[in-house]
Amino acid sequence: MAVKKKFPYRAAVVACNGVCAASAVSKCRYGCVGCGNCAAVCKFGAITLNENGVAVVDEEKCIACGMCARACPQEIIHLHECANYIVVKCVNEDKGKEAREVCPVSCIGCGICEKTCTAEAVRVVDNHAVIDETLCLSCGMCAVKCPRHAIADLRGVLTEG
Amino acid sequence: MYTFVVNGKTVKTDKKQSLLRFLRDELHMTSVKDGCSQGACGACTVIIDGVTCKACVPTTDRLEGKHVLTVEGLSEWESQVFTYAYGEAGAVQCGFCIPGMVMCTKALLDVNPDPTEDEIKYALRNNYCRCTGYVKIIAAVKLSAKILREGRTPEKSADDWKVGSRVHRLDVEEKVLGYGKYPDDFYKENMCYGSALRSKYPRARVLSIDTSKAKALPGVAAVLTAEDIPGENKIGHLKHDQYTLIPVGGLTHYLGDAVALVAAEDMETVEKAKKLIKVEYEVLPMVHNIKEAAAADAPKVFDEEESNVQAYKHVSRGNAAEAIRNAKHVITQHFETPWTEHAFLEPECAVAYIDEDGDVMVISTDQDAYCTYRECSLMLGTDKVKAENALVGGGFGGKEDMTVQHHAALLAHHTRRPVKVRLTRAESLLIHPKRHHFVMNFTMGCDENGKILGVKAKVASDTGAFASLGGPVLERACTHAAGPYAYENFEIEGTAYYTNNPPAGAFRGFGVTQTCFATETLLNMMADEIGITPWEIRYRNAIRPGGVLPNGQIVDESTGLVETLEAVKEQYDSARAAGKPIGLACAMKNAGVGVGIPDTGRVKLIIEEDHKLHIYAGASCIGQGLGTVLVQMVVSSTDLKRGDIVYERSNTWIAPDSGTTSGSRQTLITGEACMRACRKLMEAKTDGKTLADLEGQEFYGEYLAKTDPLGADVPNPVSHVAYGYATQMCILDAKTGKIEKMVAAHDVGKAVNPLSCEGQIEGGVVMSMGFALREKYPIDENCKPIEKFGALGLFRAHEIPEIEAIVIDKPGLDVAYGAIGIGEITSIPTAPAITDAYYRLDGERRYSLPISGTPYNKEG
Repeated sequence: MAVKKKFPYRAAVVACNGVCAASAVSKCRYGCVGCGNCAAVCKFGAITLNENGVAVVDEEKCIACGMCARACPQEIIHLHECANYIVVKCVNEDKGKEAREVCPVSCIGCGICEKTCTAEAVRVVDNHAVIDETLCLSCGMCAVKCPRHAIADLRGVLTEG
Repeated sequence: MYTFVVNGKTVKTDKKQSLLRFLRDELHMTSVKDGCSQGACGACTVIIDGVTCKACVPTTDRLEGKHVLTVEGLSEWESQVFTYAYGEAGAVQCGFCIPGMVMCTKALLDVNPDPTEDEIKYALRNNYCRCTGYVKIIAAVKLSAKILREGRTPEKSADDWKVGSRVHRLDVEEKVLGYGKYPDDFYKENMCYGSALRSKYPRARVLSIDTSKAKALPGVAAVLTAEDIPGENKIGHLKHDQYTLIPVGGLTHYLGDAVALVAAEDMETVEKAKKLIKVEYEVLPMVHNIKEAAAADAPKVFDEEESNVQAYKHVSRGNAAEAIRNAKHVITQHFETPWTEHAFLEPECAVAYIDEDGDVMVISTDQDAYCTYRECSLMLGTDKVKAENALVGGGFGGKEDMTVQHHAALLAHHTRRPVKVRLTRAESLLIHPKRHHFVMNFTMGCDENGKILGVKAKVASDTGAFASLGGPVLERACTHAAGPYAYENFEIEGTAYYTNNPPAGAFRGFGVTQTCFATETLLNMMADEIGITPWEIRYRNAIRPGGVLPNGQIVDESTGLVETLEAVKEQYDSARAAGKPIGLACAMKNAGVGVGIPDTGRVKLIIEEDHKLHIYAGASCIGQGLGTVLVQMVVSSTDLKRGDIVYERSNTWIAPDSGTTSGSRQTLITGEACMRACRKLMEAKTDGKTLADLEGQEFYGEYLAKTDPLGADVPNPVSHVAYGYATQMCILDAKTGKIEKMVAAHDVGKAVNPLSCEGQIEGGVVMSMGFALREKYPIDENCKPIEKFGALGLFRAHEIPEIEAIVIDKPGLDVAYGAIGIGEITSIPTAPAITDAYYRLDGERRYSLPISGTPYNKEG
């Protein structure tokens, strides 16, 4: 690791599931467009585009400098604490029906996560789930119950990561 | 078919269910505790493919090919290390969270053999502990890491088992390795599961109950209503106003009232059957709060009561009104404290069955097996009942009442089968009595030197749907409202009201937590008005040996309030000199029930066939460590060694009734009874007799803590045999606004086990940090409380500040080695100390808890 990280570790997270094939096919206005700006500005090689052309963060390499977040034209990259490994990977602001049509794994704002969350850490804001990491107990119940697989366990235990 | 690996063995199942249910119900791996099934508590934490995971979250269908590890799967070396480290650090109290904590420890140390304190706190932060305040669990992880790195377990730092020794608690191993049994860990042959159908409305008349469809459902063993109760329907800890089942024609009192009981082969069938029961209600207006309850035209919560007043207390000595009239400085203020949930980690559970004597045997988690026995006997109309404590996963006052025991007993009585009744976490949040919400008006008068001349107060509490301990809690709130100070004029009037809210009852501090907040805050305001420090005003007024408390009691030589103040003085002065915001408060708390109520400790020592001395006391260990205390007392009072002694859990057929674990009383009262039994043993052990020579003999000890009733016609009534005293101090970090350090100095008479004593203090402080800063128990307009365990606002491991527990031994009491109970007082002065620290930070006085405008409370 080039730069010594400070505890508690933080890293960037891309709020897009990336199954929708970013570039040509996708009609989603809110997801990753695969422009690669984030990957280009990252000095640590911590962010790459996956096989669908969607940005993915390697938390091991990321030092949470925030460059990628600033470079993202879609504003879908934010920083979070790595200890909170349950994250929402979609920020689609459309109503349920439209959000459902543009992507098979979009958040449709159904609110099951909000109802499920024991810690009242998940709220549906602008038609998509948002996790308050100061309250989250990282149980992953929301990820397990999410009918859209829009919430992920970054460790890959409860979901595919 | 789903295939995965548990502790190295391949398992297959075709049932889709939570991993938690699979591990417990199918594999009977009962180290994996079910504390909430909501993903909050962490008691079911296991390791999946190297990382921690709450077992209630993933379902079996998601686990294909994964490796699951539970405490049962630890290597022998790891088991040995964790048992030693958790014992040495004093990290184990009730033990219910411990297997989950152990899993977190292992997962962390496997990848990070030398973690920093912050890294440890982060590894534990998704797991709640309500007993320890996390301090000693963090220490246990640190120690585990060191031992694992060095590859060698050191000697125990204390192993002589004498009074005053920091020995490992006797139940550490069974709790760390998860083989100790709480009631939910019993899986009896032919056992069925029971649950109650609760009232749909907080206040309604039950017009009819139709159980026919439920009874016809295959797999249902019994559906019972009030008509099936052979004895008294109404039971209760003291006052019998708690309905076992609401009868047709009867009124419901809150959403937790049971209308019918179902027993069936499995929980799915139970829930299905409950849905098939048809109940017709006449919905009636409900009583939401104290104000509505006290209104002249208020609907009555109970048909059989004349009003909603459950209890009224008036305590007066001297002439408070006149003293205040003549005082130079007078402050009057209104205060409020909230409902609080105990949030013990183990939800209520009981297993009842018919034993070989034909008696109904109840295995329960409670604070008094004899209470379970008495109330179940009353309800069944027979004394052919036995009760025994399993391990108790925390109580804090919340397990003094019947919640599941009577229902399990009734179902077992009818089905003649073992029945397990267990509350879901949402039911637990609704049903067991909470800490009372109080509204209080206080006036304090002082002279120019800050000497208290008089205090006058009027308080009211919401005791909810049945009495529970509403009366005694109100009484203790009133008797202790004066504080640990020497003055003569005190008057307080208190009223407890029934409402249709969940019931309120005992909670660590027993009413004193509430009135202490008022008195201590007033004293801090008074110090400012007079121009002296909060420390100084307390030092000037402090009760000293031989002094007279406002209740008239002359206090004895053990009185150590001044010592607790002096213990924090240096830190207090240096923090003030450094310009740090700092808050201070004192408290007193009785040990023993007191006020003239017969309060008896009883212990029987029996030499059994194994030629060991077995300690039998009908006194519950709810995690405070009573068993360890009694063994230490036996070792110190006899010539026996630890290995000669067996501690038996409380039961009602061998162990004599030693009263409820309440009022910080067991160490003193049962402890003294134990010592008296030891004296008899030693008399019999003359002429070099060994335990083998005494096989079959019993040695009985009894101690009656004699006190005078309230208002006794004597000049100086003895209200309580002993009081503990404390000073707590809160130092804030002015930059972050967070608590930098809590210092808690406690006069405990004699610390039987200083390690346990510190654990009580740290746990009590963290619990009341929640009370002061964040915890909530909201009740909505339908008298329905919160259902989510994770949203109570309990403090988590990474949020706790440095906590310094100062244990002060001050001799003077001639019973039980001079030990004074520590259980409750640890939680009492915390909130006013914190509140005053925030005033010093931002200049804002706060009169209502939890306080707002701190980094701990977002809504503030």
